[in-house]
Amino acid sequence: MKSATVSALALSTVLFSASAVFAQELATKDRIGLADAAKTLVVRLTNDSPNNSDPAIAEGYQKLFVEFIKKHPDWKLQMQFMSSDIGTEQAKMLEQAKAGNAPDCAAVDSFVLSQFMVNHVLADFTPYFSKEEVADLFPFIRDGITDKDKTIRAWWWDTDLRVLYRNKSVVSDAPKTWDDLKKAALASTKEGMEGVLFNGGRWEGTTFDWLANYWALGGKLVDDSGKPVFGEGENKEKFLKALNYFKDLVDSGAAPKRVTTIANYDDMNAAAAAATTALFIGGNWQYAQLKTTLDPDEFKNWTFSPIPGPTADQKSTGTGGWTVASFSKDKEKIEMCANLARDVYMGPANALQQQLPTRKSLFDKYEVFSTEANKTFANALVDGQARPGVPIYPEISNQIQIMMGDVLSGTKKPEEALDAAFSAAMEAYKRL
Amino acid sequence: MSPIAIEADSPPQSRTFMRRFAGAPLPWIMPVIVVIGIFYLYPVIDVFRLSFTNATLIGENQQYTFGSITNALSSPQLPDILWATLIFVGGSVIGQQILGLAVAVTVIRGEKRGLFGTTILRTTALVAWVVPGIAGGIIWQMLFSEAPYGALNSILRLMHMPTVAWLSDPAMAPWSTLISNIWRGTAFSMVVMYAALKSIDPSLYEAAEVDGATASQQFFFVTLPQLRAAILVNMILITIQTVNTFDAIITLTGGGPGRATEVISLYVFNIVFRNYDLSGGSVLSVLMLIISLGLAFVYASFLPKEEEQ
Repeated sequence: MKSATVSALALSTVLFSASAVFAQELATKDRIGLADAAKTLVVRLTNDSPNNSDPAIAEGYQKLFVEFIKKHPDWKLQMQFMSSDIGTEQAKMLEQAKAGNAPDCAAVDSFVLSQFMVNHVLADFTPYFSKEEVADLFPFIRDGITDKDKTIRAWWWDTDLRVLYRNKSVVSDAPKTWDDLKKAALASTKEGMEGVLFNGGRWEGTTFDWLANYWALGGKLVDDSGKPVFGEGENKEKFLKALNYFKDLVDSGAAPKRVTTIANYDDMNAAAAAATTALFIGGNWQYAQLKTTLDPDEFKNWTFSPIPGPTADQKSTGTGGWTVASFSKDKEKIEMCANLARDVYMGPANALQQQLPTRKSLFDKYEVFSTEANKTFANALVDGQARPGVPIYPEISNQIQIMMGDVLSGTKKPEEALDAAFSAAMEAYKRL
Repeated sequence: MSPIAIEADSPPQSRTFMRRFAGAPLPWIMPVIVVIGIFYLYPVIDVFRLSFTNATLIGENQQYTFGSITNALSSPQLPDILWATLIFVGGSVIGQQILGLAVAVTVIRGEKRGLFGTTILRTTALVAWVVPGIAGGIIWQMLFSEAPYGALNSILRLMHMPTVAWLSDPAMAPWSTLISNIWRGTAFSMVVMYAALKSIDPSLYEAAEVDGATASQQFFFVTLPQLRAAILVNMILITIQTVNTFDAIITLTGGGPGRATEVISLYVFNIVFRNYDLSGGSVLSVLMLIISLGLAFVYASFLPKEEEQ
C-alpha cells in the first residue's frame, strides 16, 4: 500500500513536471508555440496581450494565446511588444512597413489606420471574415476598416467612449448641459474640490476628449476629401464656441488651471482616490479601474453619465479602439493573423478586459457586458463618433493640443489660437 | 607578446600579409572606418540628403527640392522654439557647470579633511545621472504636480507660502524643465570637475598660501585657471547633450502648455512623428547639428593652446 502511494506520488510528480515543462515550452516571454514549429508569425502588440501590467489580465491573455496556438500546432508566434508611446510606435511601424520590414501581424491604433491605408501596406482581410461578422459591426467601425475600394484592411476589435464621471455624494444629479456642468463644478469647489478635471496637456487625449463638445455642435474637422475645414465658415464658429466653453470652465474656476498639465487618464483616477475632485471626463475603462482603486464604500459614490452637450439633446462622445492588421504578403501568414484577430481578440479579449466589442451581438454573448455599467456604455455608443480616418488627423490633433494649452493658460485669445492652429494644419496638409 | 613574437607564431601566409602592410596604416584602421561610416556617417549623409527632398513618412514619390529648407526655416514657430531652446540650453550649461563644480569642490575638501558623508554626497549626485530621462521626467512631474497632493506645493503650503504653478504657467514651465535638467546633468559636470580638481598640482596651493592668498583668491586665481580646459570641454559635452535632450521634457510637459517648453529636439520629434514630415525634420536636424558644432567650435577656440599648457 505504502509503495503504491509512493509510486502514485512519483508518477503524478513526473506528469505534473512534464506538463509544466510543456507549458513553459509553449509560452515564453517572447514566443507562443513550440520553438521548433515550422512556421513563424511575427506579432507586434500593445499591452492588450500577455505583456499587460495587470498579472490577471496577462495570465488571461497567455491562456487565450496558448489555446489559439494549440489549434495551429505547426505555427509559433514571435512576440514583440510596443512601448506606451503609441504615436511614435505607430509612426515607426509605418516606416518599417514602407521599407518592407514590418511585423507579419500587428496592433494598429484605429485613428492612424488611414495612414497605413494610403500607403497600401495593409494586407487584404476580406476573405477571412464572413459577411455576417462584417454586417454585425457598428457602422463607424465598418467604415473605419474599409478602404476606398471596399476592401477590409484590418479588424477593429474593441472600442471605447468618453463619459463624465461624478461623485454622487457631492454632485447628486447628472449635469446634462454645459451650463449644468459649470454650475456643478463650481458648487463642488465650495466643498473643497478642484472642480471638473479633463485632459488639457500635450497629448492625443486632450484633443479627443474635447472634440465631443465640437461634434455635439455639428462641427467637422475635415471635408469629404480629407482637407481641414475646422477653421473656416460655420465650423470656425462652432469650434470657437466649444473652445470658449472650456476656457470659461478654467477662467471661472469651475476647472483648475492645472488641467493644462493633465496628459494621462491616471491623473483623474489619482484625484478621485485622493477625494480632491468630484467630476472628471474620462474613458469607460476607468470605471473598472476606479472599482479596484477605491474602497468599496467610496466606489459606491461614483457613477457616470454622458458628456454634457451645449443643450441636453446635443450629445456626442469620442470612440476609439484598436485593430489587428497584417503587413505580410504571404497568404498563409495573412490568414493566420486574421485567425488571431478572430479567435483571440474578437470577443475573448473584449470579455477578458471588459473592453467594449465592436459587434452588437458580442454584448449579448459575454456575461460581463450584461452589467448595468456596461449596458449603459453600450447604449452610449449610439452618440459615438470616431476620429476622421484621414492622413492629416495627427497634425490637426497636435495643433489642437498646442491651441488648448495656449488658450487655457491665457497665452493666446481663442480666435488667434484657432487661426494659428488652422494655418499650421493647412500648411501640413499641403505638404502631404 | 611583441609583434615579432606574433609574427614568429603566425603561419607563413599571415607573415607575408603583415610584412606587406606593416608600414601602411590604412588596412589596419579600415575596419573602424567601415563601422563608423556605416553606423555614424551614413545616417548623417542621409539626413542631409533628405533635407533636400520633400519626403514624408506617408508619401510615396519624393522629389529633390529646396522647398523643405525654406519652409522649415521660415516657419513662424521657429523663433519661439529657438528662444525656448536657448533658455533651456544656456540655463542648463550654466547651472550644471556651477553646481557640478560646487559639488566637486565640496567633495574634494571633504575628502581632504576626512569628513564623513563625502562618498554619500558623490553617490547621491550620481544617482540622478543614472536615472533615464523619461524616469527623471516622471519623478519631476510628481514633484511639480499642481494637484492638491503635489509634493513641492504641499511643502510650500505647510510653510504657509503661496503655491507655484510649476507646469501650467507658460512663464514658469520653462524654468521647471530647466531645474529638472540641471538636477539630472549636475553629476556629469561633477565627475569632470572632480577629475580636473584632483589633477591640480598641490604645490600651486602651497605657493599661494605662502604668498598669503585667501581661500577665495586661491579659487579664482589658482583653481579656475587650472580648470579652464576641463570647463570648456565640459561645456562642449553638456551643450551637445542638452541640445539633444527631449525625453525628459516630453514626459514632464510634452512641450506645453502651448509651445512654452518645446525645444528644438522635441520640435523635430513632433515634426517627424506627429506631422510625418521627414524632410522638415531633416532640415531642422541639420540646423541642430550646425548649432551644436558652432557652439563647440566657439568653446574650443578658448581652449588653452599647447604652448600655453
